[in-house]
Amino acid sequence: MGEAVLEARGLRKSFKSVEAVRGVDVIVRRGERVGLLGPNGAGKTTTLLMLLGAITPDAGTIQIDGFKLPRQRSKAMTKVGFAAGYLPMPDRLKVREALTVFAGWYGLRRPRAAVDLALERFGITELADRLSSRLSSGQRTLVGIVKATLHEPSLLVLDEPTASLDPDIALKVRTALLAYCESTGAALLVTSHDMREVEMLTERVMFLARGEVVANDTAAIVASTYGHDNLEDVFLSLAETHGR
Amino acid sequence: MSLHRIRVVIRRHIYVLWRAPHRWFDIAFWPLMDVILWGSLGTYVAQQDAGSRASAPFLIGGAMMFHVLFQSQIAVATGFMEETWSRNLMNVLTTPVTEFEYIAGTAILGIAKVLAALGMVTITAYAFFGFDTTKVGWSLVPISLILMIVGWGLGIAGIGAVLRFGQGAEILTWGSNFILMALSGAFNPVESLPRALRPVSKVLPSTQAFEAMRQVLAGKPLPTRSIATGLVGSIFFVAAGFAFSWLMLRSFRRRGFITRFS
Repeated sequence: MGEAVLEARGLRKSFKSVEAVRGVDVIVRRGERVGLLGPNGAGKTTTLLMLLGAITPDAGTIQIDGFKLPRQRSKAMTKVGFAAGYLPMPDRLKVREALTVFAGWYGLRRPRAAVDLALERFGITELADRLSSRLSSGQRTLVGIVKATLHEPSLLVLDEPTASLDPDIALKVRTALLAYCESTGAALLVTSHDMREVEMLTERVMFLARGEVVANDTAAIVASTYGHDNLEDVFLSLAETHGR
Repeated sequence: MSLHRIRVVIRRHIYVLWRAPHRWFDIAFWPLMDVILWGSLGTYVAQQDAGSRASAPFLIGGAMMFHVLFQSQIAVATGFMEETWSRNLMNVLTTPVTEFEYIAGTAILGIAKVLAALGMVTITAYAFFGFDTTKVGWSLVPISLILMIVGWGLGIAGIGAVLRFGQGAEILTWGSNFILMALSGAFNPVESLPRALRPVSKVLPSTQAFEAMRQVLAGKPLPTRSIATGLVGSIFFVAAGFAFSWLMLRSFRRRGFITRFS
C-alpha cells in the first residue's frame, strides 16, 4: 500500500439534531482514484467539504499530504485541486484571467505557462479569451477542472464533475481526467451520481449511507458483496434500504 | 502571509473594475453628487445668514472625509461580496489564499479607490464652489488615516455578518456607513446630535476625525490629542471588526453555511 495523500479519520458532523456524518474514515493513497458515492443525504457533500476545510468537523482529524486541517489549511490547499460541476468561474473575467488569478493563489510565479499547458491538456485553448460568464455548462466544467489542475496538485477533488453535461462532453472530461491522473500521478477523489462514470474513473469506491461508510472496495467486489453485477444496482438497493 | 497572493487578490479586483463600469459609480459619481448636494446646501445656508458663511467648506469637507471612510469600507466589503455574487466563494476557500491575505488585498485596493474619490471631490469642490482642499494641508493625512481604518473595520465586520447571516445581511454594509456618518457628526458638531446619542458619538474614532477636520477648516491647529485618540480608537475598531468576523467565519465553517453560497 502506498503513502496516504489524504488521511481523514473519525469524521463526525451534526447539523442541529441531524447527524450528517458519523465516524467516516477517508484514506486516499498517492496516485489512487477513489469514488465517494451514496444516495442524496448520505453525507457525501458534507464529507467532501470537511476534507476541503470549508466545514469544520465536530470530531475527527484530516491530513492532506502531511498538512493538518484546519491549522495548516493554506499549505494543505497547495496540494489540492477542487472543481465542482455546479460552480462557475468568476464573472467578468476572461478564462485566461481567471485561471491566472487562481494560478497566482496556488503560488505559481509564472502562471502564463501553467495556464497554457493546462488549457492545452484539456483541449480548450480556444476558450482562453472568452468571458467566463459566456461559457456553456460543459465548457464551464472543463475550465473548472483546468483550474483545479493548474498547480499539478497531489490530490484532485471533484464534486459531480460531469453533472448536466452531454454524454460526448462528459466522455471527453473523463478521458482527459484519466490521462491527467496517469501522467501526473495525482490522486483523485470524485463524487458522482453516474455509476458508469465512477466505474470508468476510479479504482476503488466508498459507499456512504446515512452518514456511514457501508462499502469500501473495488467496484466489482462492492457489487458482488451486494449480490449485483454493477454499481448502479448497488446504488439503487442502498437508496431503497437506507431511504432518503 | 504571502505578498504574492495579496497582489493576486488586487489583480482579481482590478479585472472586475475594468469590466464593470457601474463600479466606477462609487468612485466617481457618488463623490460628485455629494459635493454638489452638500456644497449647494452650504451655499444656500450662507446666503440666508451671513453668519453661516463658513458652512459650505464644513459640509464639503465633511463629504470629502466621509468618502474616505465610505470608499475603504466598500472596497473591502464588495471585494468579498464579489465572490458571493459570482458564486466563487467555494473556489476561493479551496485555494491557499488566507482570510487575512484576501482582506489585505481588498484594503490595499481600497486605498487606491480612496485616492481616486478624493481626487474627484477635490476637483469638483474647487470647480463648483471654489473650495480649496489644500487649506486642510497635511492634516488631511492623519484625519484620512483614522477614517480609512474605521472604514476597513466596518467592511470587515460586514463580511462577518454576510458569512453568518447570508446575503440578506448585505444591507448592513450599505447602511452602516450612513449610520456612522450621522453618529460621528460628519457634517455637524456632535453637540447638535440628540442628547441620547452623544455618548455613542463620543466613543467613535470617526467622531475625532470629523471634529479635527472642522477645527483645521476653522483655521485652528490640528488637535493632536483628538488625532491620537482617534488613531488608537480606530485600531481598536478594526481589531473589533476582525474579531467579530473571525467569530462569524468560525460559525460559518461550523454550521456548514458554505452551502448557501455554492
